[in-house]
Amino acid sequence: MTEDSVFIGLVSLIWIALAALYAFVPMFAMPGSAVVWGSGAAVFLVLAVIIAIAERRMPQTPKRA
Amino acid sequence: MSRDAMMRSNSISQSLRELSAGDRVLLKTLVSCALTTLVFGVVLGLITALIRTGYAGAEPQSGYRMMTGHGVTVFFYWLYFAQMALLMALSAAQSSDEARIAFAPVAWGGVLLMVLGFAASQIGTWTGSPLLYDGSPDLVGENKWQAGSFYTGYVLLALGLFLLAVSAIATAIASKVRSGQRVWSTIGFAVVAWAGLVMVSSLATLNTFLPAAAWAFGWGQEPANHSTGWHLLFHNLHYLPLMGTVIIWYALVQDLTGVGSIFGQRFSKGIFALYLIFVPPTSLYHMFLEPGLSPVLRGLGSLLSLFISVPTIAVFLVIVSSLEAHARARGARGLFGWLRMLPWREPAMAAIGMAVANLALGGIFAFVLIQERLAPLLSDTFFVPAYFHFLTIGTVTLTLLAAFTWSMPALFHRPLWAPRLLRVLPYTLTAGLAMFGVAGMTAGLNGMPRRVLDVAYDGTAPQLWTAMSPIIGIGAVIMALSLLFYVALLVGTALGAGRQQVLAAPKPFILATTESAAIRQKAWTAPLCVLVLVIGMYAATILTFALLRALPLASAAGGSH
Repeated sequence: MTEDSVFIGLVSLIWIALAALYAFVPMFAMPGSAVVWGSGAAVFLVLAVIIAIAERRMPQTPKRA
Repeated sequence: MSRDAMMRSNSISQSLRELSAGDRVLLKTLVSCALTTLVFGVVLGLITALIRTGYAGAEPQSGYRMMTGHGVTVFFYWLYFAQMALLMALSAAQSSDEARIAFAPVAWGGVLLMVLGFAASQIGTWTGSPLLYDGSPDLVGENKWQAGSFYTGYVLLALGLFLLAVSAIATAIASKVRSGQRVWSTIGFAVVAWAGLVMVSSLATLNTFLPAAAWAFGWGQEPANHSTGWHLLFHNLHYLPLMGTVIIWYALVQDLTGVGSIFGQRFSKGIFALYLIFVPPTSLYHMFLEPGLSPVLRGLGSLLSLFISVPTIAVFLVIVSSLEAHARARGARGLFGWLRMLPWREPAMAAIGMAVANLALGGIFAFVLIQERLAPLLSDTFFVPAYFHFLTIGTVTLTLLAAFTWSMPALFHRPLWAPRLLRVLPYTLTAGLAMFGVAGMTAGLNGMPRRVLDVAYDGTAPQLWTAMSPIIGIGAVIMALSLLFYVALLVGTALGAGRQQVLAAPKPFILATTESAAIRQKAWTAPLCVLVLVIGMYAATILTFALLRALPLASAAGGSH
């Protein structure tokens, strides 16, 4: 994995934690928050996985510009 | 390869120039839709401003339809057609192959859905109840199918944005795989992060407007939580254009000067990732006006709202410090001597400069508004539209136009028309904006309401409102004319009005020195600007509290900001 997939993966983890906070802590309850931030977490998780897969399929010797 | 030749081969504009005809048609279509919606939205905004300030008359329903049409067209369609054009352009510029836009049919599907969305929103606006841009179901009345059309417009827009974001991400990933470079450039990474937030915002739009559309067409119950859904969506819509703005600044400054971040690629990517990390926790301040919100949550929301501008300020620090360090390494002297070395003769640079100034002003007053004690007092006043035009027009729109000025000659293979006039327009726009904004905020702080057409109240309005109205109106006229001139010159560029000039690849203005020379320089301007910004925020807050305490008013606010 490179910094690209790591950064996006990190974003998804933070969004998962925040979506859980909005879903399970009554003080933060706002209708729709958990759904919106949770679906956002899913978007970034899928993105991180796709980027990581693309990186794994590339040759191991990087060509730097 | 010489530095000059290397710059030319790596530049975004050169990369766009070499795109395949098919890819350029897609980008040109998005640019054309963006400029069309901008003209339409600006004309409606101008008429609305003239009605409000007493220079034009209209039946209430027509007036509110114009107000709705202005908000919907500019805030949703202009900003998103333009952002999608630049998102796709920046993602396509990441590789050097000729045909680069991945999933092109998906992208075309996205464009079609956005166009259909625009048509549906306009049908709803001009035939039904004026719902304003948040489309509250409370205002629908008997005009159900028209409201259904209005909501369907937003749903189609969201689907279109999602498809375009998919194509932009696929394009960036394909460029990574094809080039064999394991890591993206900073811009490549930022484009993917931006597209990700577009996708989330699309889902937030569906979350808000799909239930409303179903209800309007008689397929479901009236949505009970429309306003909460709107707050969530609106929070994304605050961040998304600003994120696009700073990505465009970063890309254009690099293209215009050759200067990249002195802090390194990884650090810059971390800063862009910060945008995404700060989105969900800072959303709490939109709930300040919700009844029954606990004091703890109000305090927490107020505290978190202070972080809302951290990523934007961080990108500003990266860009300005890098420019200053390189300029000083090239011999710039004095605190601001380095500024003279920037390519101000380039229309895009002039526009970015004014966009930064407007962001500082808008940012200062945004912090006044999002404070827990002030939000209920100001949210329904003209303070809100007065300050947010510094952000939507002065910052985001000016940046998008700067990017069009820079990229359209490459996309259309035509030289820029009247570059000297294009260089002046950011200043006239800012002058009109300053009149509109300062007079509007002054009136707002003295209670002038927003979303009201007749602010004269048959001659019973406070004298200060009457005094400020002409300044607001004149400012709006200058602002609107500047924008219309901008569009005219860009359309002229697309149609070849600048043909008498020679079309050549732009000569890159190279400010950059070696990185080792740049990082040895002291660059204090950006931190000093941030210090001035913080002092400005405190001063504006103190002034606002003092003014509001002097007014004989009671707060009974609702709605959103």
